[in-house]
Formats: sequence, C-alpha cells, structure tokens
Amino acid sequence: MKIANGKDFWAGVMFVAFGAAFMVIAQNYPMGTAVRMGPAYFPTALGGILVVLGAVVLFRGFVSKISNPLVVFPFRAWLFVGGLVLGAIAYYTQVARDAGMLAQFGHEMLSGLAILALFAAFGERSLWVVLFAVVVFGYILKPLGLVAATVALVFISAWGGNEFKWKEVAILAAVLAAFSVASFVYGLGLPMNIWPSVWE
Amino acid sequence: MEALTALVHNLGIGFGVALTFQNIFYCLMGCLLGTLIGVLPGIGPVATIAMLLPVTFTLNPTSALIMLAGIYYGAQYGGSTTAILVNIPGESSSVVTCLDGYQMARQGRAGPALGIAAIGSFIAGCFATVLIALFAPPLAEVALKFGPAEYFSLMVLGLIAATVLAHGSLIKAIAMVILGLLLGIVGTDVNSGVARFSFGVSELSDGIGFVSVAMGVFGFAEVISNLEQKEKREVFTKKVSNLLPSLQDFKDSWASIARGTLLGSALGILPGGGALLASFAAYTLEKKISWNSANFGKGAIQGVAAPESANNAGAQTSFIPLLTLGIPSNPVMALMIGAMMIQGIAPGPQVMTERPQLFWGMIASMWVGNLMLVVLNLPLIGMWIKLLMAPYRLLYPAILVFCCIGVYSISNSPFDVMQTAVFGVVGYIFVKLECEPAPLILGFILGPLMEENLRRAMLLSRGDPLVFFQRPISLVMLVVAAFLLIITLAPAIRKKREEAFVEA
Repeated sequence: MKIANGKDFWAGVMFVAFGAAFMVIAQNYPMGTAVRMGPAYFPTALGGILVVLGAVVLFRGFVSKISNPLVVFPFRAWLFVGGLVLGAIAYYTQVARDAGMLAQFGHEMLSGLAILALFAAFGERSLWVVLFAVVVFGYILKPLGLVAATVALVFISAWGGNEFKWKEVAILAAVLAAFSVASFVYGLGLPMNIWPSVWE
Repeated sequence: MEALTALVHNLGIGFGVALTFQNIFYCLMGCLLGTLIGVLPGIGPVATIAMLLPVTFTLNPTSALIMLAGIYYGAQYGGSTTAILVNIPGESSSVVTCLDGYQMARQGRAGPALGIAAIGSFIAGCFATVLIALFAPPLAEVALKFGPAEYFSLMVLGLIAATVLAHGSLIKAIAMVILGLLLGIVGTDVNSGVARFSFGVSELSDGIGFVSVAMGVFGFAEVISNLEQKEKREVFTKKVSNLLPSLQDFKDSWASIARGTLLGSALGILPGGGALLASFAAYTLEKKISWNSANFGKGAIQGVAAPESANNAGAQTSFIPLLTLGIPSNPVMALMIGAMMIQGIAPGPQVMTERPQLFWGMIASMWVGNLMLVVLNLPLIGMWIKLLMAPYRLLYPAILVFCCIGVYSISNSPFDVMQTAVFGVVGYIFVKLECEPAPLILGFILGPLMEENLRRAMLLSRGDPLVFFQRPISLVMLVVAAFLLIITLAPAIRKKREEAFVEA
C-alpha cells in the first residue's frame, strides 16, 4: 500500500507513539480500581484512546484524498539516534554532587551534546541554531549574567537566520542587553545577575 | 430592580478598584505592552501573554490580572493592526480582518479601517462588560451547586467544543486534546504522591510548566517556521492619516458593529468559543445580510467593523466561564487560569464571593482597558507602523530575548528554558503535521482538574460510571457534546466547516 498523505501518516505515528509510551510507563504505578483510581488509571485510559485515535489518523494517511509527500520536514535519523544514545549515556551516568568539577563539566557537556543532536535532527538549520541559542541563554544566565546571556542569544540566533550582518547584530545585541537590564532587573526587580557572578 | 441595584453596587466596587492610580497605570502598561508585542507579525495573543506573564509576577493578584487582561486586549488590537496594514494575521481571530481591512489599506483607507476597528471594539467592549457584570453572578451561583460529575462533563463539553472549532481535521484535534491531558498530568499525583512520568528528574515532578508549553508551541515554533520562509512583506504606510472614519463610514457600519457585538458576546460565552469563532461567524453573517455584501473582500468597511467588534466582544465574554466556572474556553483563558494559580487564586465560582475586589475590579478594568485602547492607538499608530517596517531578522532575536527572560524568571532555573526549547521542536513538528496546538493547551490545563473530578465522581458513585448520565446537568452537557461531535462529522456540515476555514 502506498502512503497518500505523509502529514496524516506521521501525525498518526506520533500519536500512537505518545499514547503507547504513556501507557507503558504508567504500568510502573498502581492501577487502583474504578472506585479508587490509582495514579496509573487515568493515563492508561487516555493513552489507550490516543493509540486508537492515532491508528485512525495513520490509516487515513493511506486512504486520504489529499496527497502530501512522505517527507514532511527535514529529518536526520542518524542525529536523532545519536542524540538518544548520548542522552541515555548521560542519564545513566549521573554524576554525584560531590564529584570533581571536571566530571560535572564533562557530564554537562555530554547532556548538552545530546540535546543539540536531538534538536538538529529536525527541521532546517534555523531550528537547531535558534533553539541552541535559547538553551545557551538558560545555562549561562546565572554564572555569566544577563548582559552576556543576551548578547550570546542575539548573536547565535541571528546567525541562524537568513542574513547575518555583523554590525547590525552587534548594535541589536547592545540595545537589547541595555533594554533588558533596565526594564527587567532595574524596572521589575527580577533577581538576576547583570555581570558574571565572579566579578561581584 | 434588585438586580440593577446589585449591578450598580458591584460595578461601584469594581471601579473603585480599577480607578486607583496604581491599577490604571498597570492597565495602561498592559495595553501598551500588549499592543507593542501583538503588532509584531506572527505573534498572537497567546504568545504575547505567555511572554509578558512574568512581568506581572511581582504585582499583587488584582493588579496582575488587570494588567494581563490589558495585555490581552492590547495584543488583540495589535493583531488587527497588523492584519490591516500587512495582511499577516497575528492570530487566527484576525484572519477575517485581513480580507477587507487589507483591501481598504490598499485603497488608501487604512486610517478609517483602523479607526472603525478601534471604535467597534470599544463599543463591543462596553456592552460585553455590562453583560459579564449581569450574567456572572447567577452563573456562579449555579456553578456552586456543581458536583464532580457535573464538572467532569462540563470539561468534556468544553474540550469537544474546542476541537469542533479547531481548523482542519477533527480527529487530529481530539488526539491533540488527549495528548494535552496526558502532558498535563505529568508530575506528582495529588492523591497518591507518586511522581508520574518524571523519569527521576526533580523539576518534572512539579509538572511541566504551562508557560513552557505555551511559549514553546506558540512562540518558538512560530519563529522557527517563519525563518524557514523567505521574508515577503508589503506594508502600507504611505498614507495612514485621517484615522477617524467619516460620518458616512459610521452610517455604513453602525449596524454591523451592533450585530457583531451581539453575535460575538453570545459566542464568547460558549465553551470553546471566544474571539476566533466570534470573528468568523460575524464576518459570515455580515456577508450574508449586509446590503453591501457584493463589496465584501474588496474593502467593505462592514467587513472590518463586524468581525472586529465581534472578536472583542467574544474575547471579553469568554471571561464569563473562566470567572464563574473556572473552566477556560480557549487557550488565552487557559493562560489566565495559569496566571491565577501562580498568584495563588483557585479559579472558580468562589472567587466572586471570596474576593469581590479582585473580581469586580477586573471586570471594571476591562472597560477602562477598552477606553485606553482607543485613546492609545489613535495617536500611537505611527509608532506601530515603524515597528512593522522593521525587518524580521531584527525582530526575532528581540522576541527570543523576551521569551527567554520570561521563561527563566518563572523559577529562575535553566531547566524551564530547556523545556521550552524542547516544546519549540514539538511545536514545529505540530505545525508541519498540521496539528492545531490550541486544543493541546486546553487539555494541558484541564488534565489534572479532569482526573481529580473523575476520581471524586467515581468515588461518590462507588465506581458506577452511569453517574454521569443520571445527574441531569451532567447528562445535558454530555448530550450536547455528543451532538456537537455528530453534527461536525455529518458530511454536509463537515464540508461547510472546511469551506468556512478555507475561505478565511
């Protein structure tokens, strides 16, 4: 059988996968009875419904009159699998709190790489660059301060766009950094470092 | 008579709260910021509210909600401005405004189009405010009698109604609701204390942050898909002078404003309703019955006046189910519930009796907010146009900065930022697979509530699921939900529904 509508097909696959995952994981918790529902009851029921609905959507992908190519968006399976493997390694090699700086740093880099690979598996270049910029912002805000984080976010995300002009981006970064410090830290009093914490 | 005195008394309390210097200021800031962000192409009210939510964290609950409501109206009005001037709907409820508004702009009548949108919205807003003040108290009284079975059925009805109104495939929309419900119950189960689906990650045992979901799916995903397309925008900026519509324009459109207001108010109250349905329905109605229907799509002022009035009326009356039942009828209201919870207020019928200051203050501020929008937008339109002319490559890093600071400040943790990025990918996939995210957000907010009420109802009925059909109110709601599903699936209506969305 030929897949007519790639969008429906993959949407169906996604729903079935989510529904099945929730059902399977829910089996780790007590089910309870209809009178006293345990933590597994509701998610198992919903997961089952989702699998059924997903299967219908998937089936429609074969018989649909609307035709869409099977490749709906760029997907790089090797990055996806690689990211999952790295993520699994990071997950199962949790570093103890009292472990050395180096071990912790290494572990964080490994997690970061896994995330980056998973992001990069989907969509065009702009997707992973923009989201990577966002993650970098989140992780450097506390140690390096709002100014550095904003500048990094603006530069990396601008690099993910279609056009990159150094001067323009530099001005934009400076303006946005000044504005966010003025309005969020001074204006609203959000508790954030402005400069790297070692300076203060 | 008694109802009238109560109304005056209540609105008196409300205006007493809303007209304090502090609250006027927050309302003004809300409208201003909301319009500022809402004007940016491709950013609708949901993303705007999610982005600006953290700004309100430091305020007291009343001021925070007043400001959020202001942000909502501002964002909506900003979206209409973009629709008229650039032909890019910032959000789905201004899709229909594009049709005639943009044509008017091309004919050099952008000014009157913007003016009539503001004035129509203001009139609709005034009417809807009174309507809320009239209808909320009796509805809240009914809601106080609701048991868990009624609440569960009400949520079923609300979610079904929301899927019926989503674009595209009905079955995908229902699947999205279920997925939303599942994501909503991630975290510690209140009854047993089991941390569900948290994979030992301590941040996940508090549940997935709804701001992360909303911002990722509506904000980041939008930016990413915009970046994939090459920019092509045409802004009509040459002659936006003379904002006040002429006397003839008023004569032409007052009836449309009135019809739009009435229709919008009615549709906003329905579960799943709100601004989107209101504007679509008003446009369709106007096209059918207006004497000027031949000119629709070619720059008829009625085609701007009616949906703009309707979407503002609907936007406001959709606060009725939120404030009285604690049930959000659309994603914006879902965000409002989230904001209330963050402020420590449990949404529901008890808000009105326990916190009259907050309740009536917020309602009165709706009127104040609408007035401000008219006053604000007429002189500031030049500034919005300048903003619209800024190329996207400068806008999106700014959008990202505000989103990121917003998400981070929720709990000062990088984890939230990361989580939002993940939902950015998920949202991108949804966009590509034509899965509408709005039902997901509703399900997400209602997940824990639904489970809780289902459990209680089943406990009270000793495990008999028939309880949902034995209690009359519950039965009515389930029947209505089933009816909605059936008529949507009926081939004739299905075709109509698809046409309606395609046309717009």
